[in-house]
Amino acid sequence: MATTADLKKIILEFAESYKKSKFYFNDMVHEVQKTVPDAKQRDIKKASTELVNEGVLIFFSTGSTTMYGLKGRGITNDE
Amino acid sequence: MPVGPVEQKKLNYQELRIYSDAELHNYTEEELKSFKVKHATPICDDYEKGPWPSFISDAKRAALHRHKLPKEKLMLSPDVIDDFLGQLELSYKEGEGHWKHGGIVGVFGYGGGVIGRYSDLQQEFPGIAHFHTVRVNQPGSKFYDTDFLRTICDLWEFRGSGLMNLHGSTGDLVLLGTTTDQLEPIFYELTHSMEQDLGGSGSNLRSPSCCIGRARCEWACYDTQDLCYQLTMNYQDELHRPAFPYKFKFKFDGCPTGCVASIARSDMSYIGTWRDNIRIDQKAVLAYVNNEIPRNGGALTGRDWGKFDIQKEIINLCPTECMFFDGKTLSINDKECNRCMHCIHAMPRALRPGVDTGLSVLFGAKAPILEGAQMATLTVPFMKIESPYDNVKELVEKVWEYWMEEGKNRERLGEMIQRIGIPTFIEAIGIRAIPQIVKEPRSNPYIFWKEEEVPGGWSRTIEEYRSRHKR
Repeated sequence: MATTADLKKIILEFAESYKKSKFYFNDMVHEVQKTVPDAKQRDIKKASTELVNEGVLIFFSTGSTTMYGLKGRGITNDE
Repeated sequence: MPVGPVEQKKLNYQELRIYSDAELHNYTEEELKSFKVKHATPICDDYEKGPWPSFISDAKRAALHRHKLPKEKLMLSPDVIDDFLGQLELSYKEGEGHWKHGGIVGVFGYGGGVIGRYSDLQQEFPGIAHFHTVRVNQPGSKFYDTDFLRTICDLWEFRGSGLMNLHGSTGDLVLLGTTTDQLEPIFYELTHSMEQDLGGSGSNLRSPSCCIGRARCEWACYDTQDLCYQLTMNYQDELHRPAFPYKFKFKFDGCPTGCVASIARSDMSYIGTWRDNIRIDQKAVLAYVNNEIPRNGGALTGRDWGKFDIQKEIINLCPTECMFFDGKTLSINDKECNRCMHCIHAMPRALRPGVDTGLSVLFGAKAPILEGAQMATLTVPFMKIESPYDNVKELVEKVWEYWMEEGKNRERLGEMIQRIGIPTFIEAIGIRAIPQIVKEPRSNPYIFWKEEEVPGGWSRTIEEYRSRHKR
């Protein structure tokens, strides 16, 4: 059973290496589940929310859809 | 845990107000006639000439009012509405929009409620370089008092453009146009002074919305406001922290009249219904027939509508032809009734919904982005409900779990159901297929039985079949 800290580490590695600077929640879940097959979506959400609250991840919203991104990668500043 | 009745905070506008009466009424109609916004807007001006109220006229009024407010009581440029109209004019002229859509703006801890908007002509229109939208979760059935409305108008004039849209199609109060640095102060004022939360946007549960329900309507088959409130409070995480493939909407209609049109506007539509019979007061039926009671609660009066004709206006218009009137007694074959509500609307004192009430659940309505607009599909014909609505929450969570697993990015629930088929969907959420779910009987000749569905099962195997039927 992976801890939140483990999940955060996997999410961060994914966010740093993903081909695009923004990604959907589902992309993140599938990536985490490759490493931790029994990871629940709710636990992944908790881990990603912590990363958002720590200012490591950011939400990117068009109004209709929301994506996640790593702060500092791609467009991450208010423009 | 059910959330007990919470007394809504009574706001006192006199304590919260930002502007004096003189500042709020700071221009005359004469001044308005001669007022010109900063940019020439001939096309916009044309929209004021039609018979209907014009948002251009409203915007000009707000622009003049803004110009005359003291500068220290405006956190945004006084020209914000002028620039808004200037860019709109240019868009009409060029046939092209100039809004940049989306961004990273938001308030701390929330992934929804704020939608980033920027102008792509920031030099020409600096007042709207940042023009973010804030969605505010509307109260149940949109009950407000004037203290609330005045307080929020003052707040928005002070920290935003003053332009509002009451209400957006999701139901929220939509506050149009502010800058990034104002978002946290606005959120603080909304939550701390007004006890008001932001609504949903992005890949979130959107602000649940309900009809007026039992607050004023005798046809409400369940307490729409309570269910809406309980689910809003129960699913705060889903409302504010996006983790769905796309948007998800709940809407609650107290009866099949559908005043919030949940059947067309929500991924999960709750429509009040009854499973016994329509209550008939035969004396009142005769009173309608004899024109002693005006039909439709008096709505069809004042013009030459003629006398009420029950055969022509009720019996012949029943979509399932399940009504009969012999001149004295009205009878209804309730098993055939499809809840169109026409007869109940026309003769409200004679006909009323039954007493064994609950709700129907429908899934999958959406607007026409992909594959055209889609109405929701009846999936649970009847469900008895009462607080704390555990059976409703259980169903919601099953649907979400499956959709989050199977739904593609940016795929609405209705699109997923269309892709995988309704049998797969209902099996996933643990519902048995019943005749009410079938839209067109016999239109699909292929029925695939599973072994467990056939009494006694079967023993043949595909190998045995292939031994006799080569590919």
